[in-house]
Amino acid sequence: MSAFLREYLTVAIFTGVAFGLLAGVLSVGKLIRPVRPQAEKYFNYESGVDAVGTGWVQSPIRYYVFALLFVMFDVEAVFIFPWATQLEIYGWFGAVEMGIFIVLLALGLLYAWRKGVLRWT
Amino acid sequence: MLAALAPVLAFARPAIDWHALAPEIILTATICIVLLVDVSTSERNRWATSSIAGIGMLAALIPILTLAVKGGPRIMFGGAYVVDDFALVLKALFLVAGYVTLLLSTNEIAEGDFWEGEYYLLVLSSVFGMTVMASARDLITIFIALEMLSIPAYLLAGWRKREVKGNEAGMKYYLMGVFATAVMLYGMSLIYGGTNSTVLAEIGRQIHGSFGKEPVAALGIVFVLVGFAFKVSAVPFHNWAPDTYEGAPIPITAFLSVASKAAGFVAILQLVFLAFLGRGDVIRPLMWILAALTMTVGNLIALRQTNIVRLFAYSSVAQAGFMLAPLAVVGSSASTTREVLQAVVGYLLIYTVVNLGAFAVIIAVGRKTKSGEISSFGGLFEYAPGLAVAMGAFLFALAGIPPLVGWFAKFQVFKALVSQGGASGITMAVVVGVNSVIALYYYANIARTMFMDAPPDGDRTPIRVPVPLLAAMGMAAAATLVVGFIPGVVAHLAEHATFALGG
Repeated sequence: MSAFLREYLTVAIFTGVAFGLLAGVLSVGKLIRPVRPQAEKYFNYESGVDAVGTGWVQSPIRYYVFALLFVMFDVEAVFIFPWATQLEIYGWFGAVEMGIFIVLLALGLLYAWRKGVLRWT
Repeated sequence: MLAALAPVLAFARPAIDWHALAPEIILTATICIVLLVDVSTSERNRWATSSIAGIGMLAALIPILTLAVKGGPRIMFGGAYVVDDFALVLKALFLVAGYVTLLLSTNEIAEGDFWEGEYYLLVLSSVFGMTVMASARDLITIFIALEMLSIPAYLLAGWRKREVKGNEAGMKYYLMGVFATAVMLYGMSLIYGGTNSTVLAEIGRQIHGSFGKEPVAALGIVFVLVGFAFKVSAVPFHNWAPDTYEGAPIPITAFLSVASKAAGFVAILQLVFLAFLGRGDVIRPLMWILAALTMTVGNLIALRQTNIVRLFAYSSVAQAGFMLAPLAVVGSSASTTREVLQAVVGYLLIYTVVNLGAFAVIIAVGRKTKSGEISSFGGLFEYAPGLAVAMGAFLFALAGIPPLVGWFAKFQVFKALVSQGGASGITMAVVVGVNSVIALYYYANIARTMFMDAPPDGDRTPIRVPVPLLAAMGMAAAATLVVGFIPGVVAHLAEHATFALGG
């Protein structure tokens, strides 16, 4: 076998293992699990509530926006905490950099506020 | 414990080269200003955001010119961010493409049922990501730049939000983009695992050395390149492109098929030339197959299209194949490698300008006919001869007919392929040749419709072209004609767009 084919054999083997593992795990599960069909088991699970309607429904976007804002400030905290513990070492340079970072994030909050997404009703 | 931490605690202020970062800083400031204007003015005055965004992009070109005059690579952050000639040429390309996109958008977005302020904000953010990509010489920086340019593009693709096709465009682009990112990150993690470095120059050294011989190196390289093959819509990773291009607003289609694709190519070039060149034997066959498939499949499907935007979607898939073709001989010798880089960069520059011009005409005609069918171009020469002649020039430039600029792009691809002299280069050149002929058929078909057919609805009222659109068309047409006669301009740029090695 040529050297070139051997290189791509690695890729092929890797792909084969990926598919094989998936097929193996699924088929082992199928072989050893007991099968006792009940009507309830075939419902779509939705937080314990019976699902109604189709999947193509409109849902309030507000939760999503709040979650996004939460993530935004979470990420901010992730950067601010380590910076705060090293405040003196980073000195003015660090303070200015962090200031720029916070201002840029605050612009996002300003945008959200001005567009009225912070109002719940 | 503390002693072990001492090297971490010692903080050295990173040297920041403000001049080298000026284009990015100007763009960031423009983004902030556009956002502030958007939230502080009424809906009627939002058009101002378009002008501010345009001025910002032109202003960002100034430091690029001064940097080019001063010359010399500027290396920052331990080699992760490099402003060399390659970066400057590509940054200028992205800014110009972004500016032309704004010209194409202004009337389209103001007259349609669109959010204006956010639109320009997102175009600016995407262009910002592209300028970062041109300088990124580190896996993490490349990844951040890719996300920075992709996430606004996902939103823009779905900008026609009340139409199912618009939703489909955004959704498909987003899902395929995320999938591609996952594949790419997986490859990057393999490479980082083997080299313990994210800086491309260091990875390049190790791939030339012992790590390159490990099987996992081949695996990592293939995964990373496949991830970017999605980005440049290479067959068989192109499925998202036609639907996304059709559903997105047409200026965004132009932007995606030009700037976003170019950014993917920039990443591929940086990875291949700076990091993976030691394993040219892995890259060459992969690129040969990708390029041959991309050209052939893209062209054959384009033959059957009746919608002009879908036709351009498939033609842009095929054009990506032409750009991948020289990479099929990369790394076989030093001189070939240099010609490959020139060919790809030159092709990118030319394709960007010509394709934007063609989209400007499509938008101008679409404003009157309100139709995307090729047959709606019938009789264009009778009632809008200027538009028809310009479109003809762009079409034949895309097909590569001299004296229009496209021939030079194809010529450089052939030159790079033949210079290698081996069987793979010659066969690739034959594939490129055959595909150029196929492509000519459908490009010429549009020209035939414009010049020979009668208008389908008999409406011969002339088309009024708004000034921004006219400016975009004029710039593209001038470049198409002038550079076609003096290809030295592009050759000069492409020749100088070399990487600063080391760092």
